Amino acid sequence: MKRLLTEAKLVLIGIPVAIWTLLPIYHMFLFSISTKEEAFSGELWPAHPTLRNFGVVFREQNYFLNHFWRQFANSLLIAVAVGAITLVVAAGAAFSISRLRTRGGRLVLNCALFTYFIPAAFLAVPMYKAMGTYGLLNTQWALILAMVTIASPYAIWVLKQASDKLPWELDEAARIDGASPLQLFRLVYLPLIAPSLVAVGTYALLLAWNEYLYAFLLLSNDKDITLPVALGHFLSADDSPWELLMTTGLIYALPPAAIYYAFKRYMVAGLTAGAVKS
Amino acid sequence: MAPVSFNNIAKTFGSTEVIRGISFDIRDGEFMVLVGPSGCGKSTLLRMLAGLEEITAGTIAIDGRVVNQVDSKDRDIAMVFQSYALYPHMSVRDNMGFSLRLRRADRSEIDARVMRAARILNLEPYLDRYPRELSGGQRQRVAMGRAIVRDPKVFLFDEPLSNLDAKLRVQMRSEIKALHQRLKTTTVYVTHDQIEAMTMADRIVVMHDGAIEQIGTPLELYDRPDNLFVAQFIGSPAMNVVRGTLRRTGSAAHVETADGVRWPAGSGGGVDGQAVAYGVRPDHLELGGGGERTVPGEIVVVEPTGSETELVVRIGDAQMTVETHGRTTLQPGDKVGFAIDPANVHLFDQASGARLVS
Repeated sequence: MKRLLTEAKLVLIGIPVAIWTLLPIYHMFLFSISTKEEAFSGELWPAHPTLRNFGVVFREQNYFLNHFWRQFANSLLIAVAVGAITLVVAAGAAFSISRLRTRGGRLVLNCALFTYFIPAAFLAVPMYKAMGTYGLLNTQWALILAMVTIASPYAIWVLKQASDKLPWELDEAARIDGASPLQLFRLVYLPLIAPSLVAVGTYALLLAWNEYLYAFLLLSNDKDITLPVALGHFLSADDSPWELLMTTGLIYALPPAAIYYAFKRYMVAGLTAGAVKS
Repeated sequence: MAPVSFNNIAKTFGSTEVIRGISFDIRDGEFMVLVGPSGCGKSTLLRMLAGLEEITAGTIAIDGRVVNQVDSKDRDIAMVFQSYALYPHMSVRDNMGFSLRLRRADRSEIDARVMRAARILNLEPYLDRYPRELSGGQRQRVAMGRAIVRDPKVFLFDEPLSNLDAKLRVQMRSEIKALHQRLKTTTVYVTHDQIEAMTMADRIVVMHDGAIEQIGTPLELYDRPDNLFVAQFIGSPAMNVVRGTLRRTGSAAHVETADGVRWPAGSGGGVDGQAVAYGVRPDHLELGGGGERTVPGEIVVVEPTGSETELVVRIGDAQMTVETHGRTTLQPGDKVGFAIDPANVHLFDQASGARLVS
């Protein structure tokens, strides 16, 4: 009886949350299979559902979509680069802080985490200035480096927590077996924190994939921008093709969903790894 | 194979002194056990030998070469950890061959040496398994295999049997000993379990509070403990000890306790009137008998173990353990006498704990 009650409560909370979350996505989906005329009809299901919008997007048959594939590729390239570079930076930092006990390592980690007290939006202007100084503005490196900067503190923190859980004797055994720090890193450390690496890499990749503000600020050439920025351009017209905007948005949301499902197992294990100090 | 020598070794963590100037030598091929209660510094000493812990003062030499500034990997030692410390992502084969792989040995040489070690330890059927698929005893054997493959100058064992259940511990104990008899590699073995120390060691170093209490063969420590600490630490069940005053009249002597019991003592050291600790091992209290060398007792508990019977008895105000061979019909409450041969009595100075010698 008591269990039933708990179950009922959970269902009562779960249903509104599910509706709340899914409704916008459903709305987006609805737009994508409607014609321009039907899109705003307010019906729960269009009278004449169509896949024409997808064809228009894939064939770049709209002014706003002239560079769809190019921009999609930009997003992909930047996201993958951010994921990879963040992994290199974070794994190296976590290893040296947690396993090599580098002097001052904790201080560096805390300083890095401190940047999260300042909203990323506030840092956008100094970042813009810095990239200008380095002459990186309007290059994709600017966005890649900016996103790595934003993703790294959290990534290092998660990896450091995961590293702390590895038994210390493994390092000692490896040292006695004759491993140099670099061999220890490559042959013992990396294989053992692989699940956390997947989680952190995915996190950084998705962060870059979904980024709008920094992409908008740091890139301006139509051929260099990422898809979210291009989608933003849709809104500059008076009569935006909403059905195409939503279709493109839906397409853009699919890779993250696929990645999430592929790595779900690691994500949960990895992102909670730093949750409690054990 | 190599001798090891510790010369005035000290270790401090901050302001805490954990090792206070220790010196001793381990002979080539010897099985040396460091034993002592937890916190006595035995593991720290081993870790200093392994190069995992800085040496605050003094020198450690392996095979005549001072290794204070030598990296672990260049000391030519192999260590077996309490937690085994097997690489979880590597098969047994790769675990055992890891050190050779780091030394860029030939694939064929690695295989040959891993096979040889696996054969010694009966690990052949498990070579392609992962550590998580092995039992505790098998993991322990892999950890030993990893050490054997190296063919090092010195084996180090840090409480290797503590994580095993009692039965397996006894079995692994004899396996390690057999291994040593076969390979004859100098071995330093740390344990808090004095039975492990007694059964395995060529010689034992008894440590307490960062200092050495006594070094000797197992039977030397058992028969002639240098001080009260060693007397009570070595031997199971532990030595019975009462405190009293030494009375010496001519060649005869006894120790008188506050409860009025006169404990027979021999011609050992000590002067009349000296405050002493009187020690006698449980198997040196002989059931029955009478006369001068007998103390009166009352049975409190009877604990049969099959081949032997352990009695807890009250003699005067003291509670003592008595070990008798065979079985007994005694019941709690029975009054019996216990004969003590003065030759088996250990006398220690009460203040210093040092053994009294004539």
